Amino acid sequence: MNYEITLLTTMAISVIFALSLNLITGFCGQISLGHAAFQGVGAYAAAMLAKAGWPFFATLPVAMLLAGALGVVVGMASLRVREDFLAITTMGVVFLFVGVVRQQDWLGGELGLSAIPDHGLGKTGFMGVTLLACVAVALLSIHIRRTWMGRVFNGIAEDEDTMRVLGIDVPRYKLAAFAIGTALAGLSGAFYAYHLQFIGAENFGFIESITVLSMVVFGGIGSVAWVLIAAALLSALPAWFQVIGDYKLLVYGGLLFVMMRFSPGGMAALARRLFNPMATREGKS
Amino acid sequence: MLFIELIAQGLVQGSIYALIALGLTLVYGLLRILHVAHAALFTLGAYVGVLVCNASGSLAVAFVCAAVVAGIAGVLMYRLAYQPLLSQPPFVALIASIGLYIAAEEAFRIVFGAQGLSFTQPSLQGQVTLGGLQFKQAELMVMIGTVAIIAVLAWLQSRTRVGVACQATVSDPQMAESFGISLRQVRDINFFIGSALAGFAGVWVALLNNLVEPTMGSVPSYKALAIIVLGGLGSVPGTLAAALVLGVVEAFGTIYLGQLLDRNAIAFAFLIAVLMVRPQGLFARR
Amino acid sequence: MTPADTKQALLAIDAVTVRFGGLLAIDNVSFEVREGELLGLIGPNGAGKTTMLRTITGVVRPTQGQVRLDDKPLNALPTHQRIRLGLALSQQLVRPLRGITLEDNVALAAAKAKTVRPLRALLHTSSQEELGLARRELARVGIESLATQSPATQPLGVLKRLELARALALGPRLLLLDEPLAGLNSKEAHALAETIADINRQGVTVVLIEHNLGEVLRICQRLVVLDNGRKIGEGEPRAVMADPVVRAAYLGSDEQEARHA
Repeated sequence: MNYEITLLTTMAISVIFALSLNLITGFCGQISLGHAAFQGVGAYAAAMLAKAGWPFFATLPVAMLLAGALGVVVGMASLRVREDFLAITTMGVVFLFVGVVRQQDWLGGELGLSAIPDHGLGKTGFMGVTLLACVAVALLSIHIRRTWMGRVFNGIAEDEDTMRVLGIDVPRYKLAAFAIGTALAGLSGAFYAYHLQFIGAENFGFIESITVLSMVVFGGIGSVAWVLIAAALLSALPAWFQVIGDYKLLVYGGLLFVMMRFSPGGMAALARRLFNPMATREGKS
Repeated sequence: MLFIELIAQGLVQGSIYALIALGLTLVYGLLRILHVAHAALFTLGAYVGVLVCNASGSLAVAFVCAAVVAGIAGVLMYRLAYQPLLSQPPFVALIASIGLYIAAEEAFRIVFGAQGLSFTQPSLQGQVTLGGLQFKQAELMVMIGTVAIIAVLAWLQSRTRVGVACQATVSDPQMAESFGISLRQVRDINFFIGSALAGFAGVWVALLNNLVEPTMGSVPSYKALAIIVLGGLGSVPGTLAAALVLGVVEAFGTIYLGQLLDRNAIAFAFLIAVLMVRPQGLFARR
Repeated sequence: MTPADTKQALLAIDAVTVRFGGLLAIDNVSFEVREGELLGLIGPNGAGKTTMLRTITGVVRPTQGQVRLDDKPLNALPTHQRIRLGLALSQQLVRPLRGITLEDNVALAAAKAKTVRPLRALLHTSSQEELGLARRELARVGIESLATQSPATQPLGVLKRLELARALALGPRLLLLDEPLAGLNSKEAHALAETIADINRQGVTVVLIEHNLGEVLRICQRLVVLDNGRKIGEGEPRAVMADPVVRAAYLGSDEQEARHA
């Protein structure tokens, strides 16, 4: 039972992380290659506060706030650059994050932060909290999509110049997407810190950023349900495929490539083709 | 003295970056794809180079084989992976490229082992003194070689029919096609040259460190992505300049800012700083 | 003083010059758009009409000169703010949002009040009101029956009308139309021109860029003529078209085309 509980918690944290990126990339069309940096900010914030004696639930809002604040800064920076440079700028952000954190001794330096205090909820309790948060984030994503903010996001993702002509303050909306998405990434980071009770800068680097991006793309950018499923599956991949343990990265890379090659819309597009071959393309999951 | 040493170090490192970045800029300039898998060709070239050199004893043959194999692999990548995805939004090719790269890195690990390979008899390891500075022979050769290659390429791009054709396909593919330029041929050539350069660079790095291991391509290629942005997309001289500048910035940065940032962070901090001041890159044409 | 002179100038183009690198796209052009009128902006190909429109909407920044709305300078304002001050644009190359239906396209424009800030947009889910408005605008341009269709399957004539409906849904004071009749057959063009004249009669000021001179002469109250970036004529349609300078500009370009053929 212990193993399953740990696994479910890991999956829940990954799903929150992926859904947070889905908001930025999926709803608003901004490709971020540095999302792990925001998870890292949340993780380190929660870890430092926990070590300073803060109770578990108090660290969460701070983690979200700090991650969101950094998100706004990065968002403002990324507004200045051309679209194809955005990916590389966000990549730069995550390398900066890792590079800075690694050199700071007060953040644990190269060795990272260990002995992060317990949350006091017990393994099952913690799993419950993360699963609840996971559901909440999914519901929030779905809700946002139903609001005018979601409709504007969709428009921006498709054709931002036309949105300007419709009176939309596009930069402001992009910043909003960044703020919400990065804050939620911070939340997943806080959970991550408590879950593993040990974090290092390299846990939040470029590889982790493209891993979470591939979960979003694999599921189908913008589709809440399928990104959830994809994130849950892919984060549990090492567990499902114990038998191919040595080859798991090979399978992972291969899966990504094959999916992009044959169904760029991800699992969502596959599902649409299978269950609804006659329907015209809609922006829903 | 330290100043000059740092510059020299930076130029050596920059030359390697330039070789890798060049391939990338040729591809990106053509297709607007972030060809992350380019790194795998770098590693492939290194492996081929070491194997051939150890088997044949000749470094020159190893270089040629590495470049050719990498070049062909690059064209294959284009045909199998990117060409079918040209009509999709750019992130599709990016993720496909990432998938390719991860799989390739793993394949190297599985086939060649995680420990890495070395030259049995590494050449060009002797020391050379130039202007009071000590260089490994290999380091000097890399710098000279890079400048030579880039000069040749820049000349090809502006003076020959093929080169002009390449430029035309970047700025206006439809127009280029109507003039009888085969888009396919041009893209094949670009991928071949760019990939061959990456393979070539791989052998150099293998020589400099006397080690080839599966993950050696990752960091240089991330930086190569930064370099092509800095250098102005598709611009050969711009890429060289940006690569050398980055090498030097890193060399100085690690000495003076090493307490605060590690090497990669310095490179990207520089990139971000430049982009904030000049959003179109350092040497952008437009 | 004629009644026309006492009308308020809604939009003022004040000595605007636009330079793109070495190219002089617009050369010291000045004119006014009066409240309530239907102004035609005409001229041969390459005259700078679309550039002028882009300068008004803010896509292009003038090198010199000022664009004023109600005497308020627009030069420093981004496009979306100009839209919120009362401008609306219907583009020459139609750009519907293909992922949503026609009525959703128009509703997005109609939701102008709710989309002013992300936070406000987040708090509103209901689209009843906007869909109602959308249907009314779609009906105004005659495509209400296609409201639930996807733009991806519609012919150009429908998409042009969609552009217009979307612009109207913004409730503009000044409607800028960039070649709304291009690509339509004569029957469709006539019908759409009538619709535009109707909209103007209902109180919306309209600036119309059009090549279809027949319809332009029929519905426009005043014309401004551009050629090679300069204003070469302005005034009542018949008088403008009789002006030899204007005729030369149009015929001259025809002559050039004949020579190259």
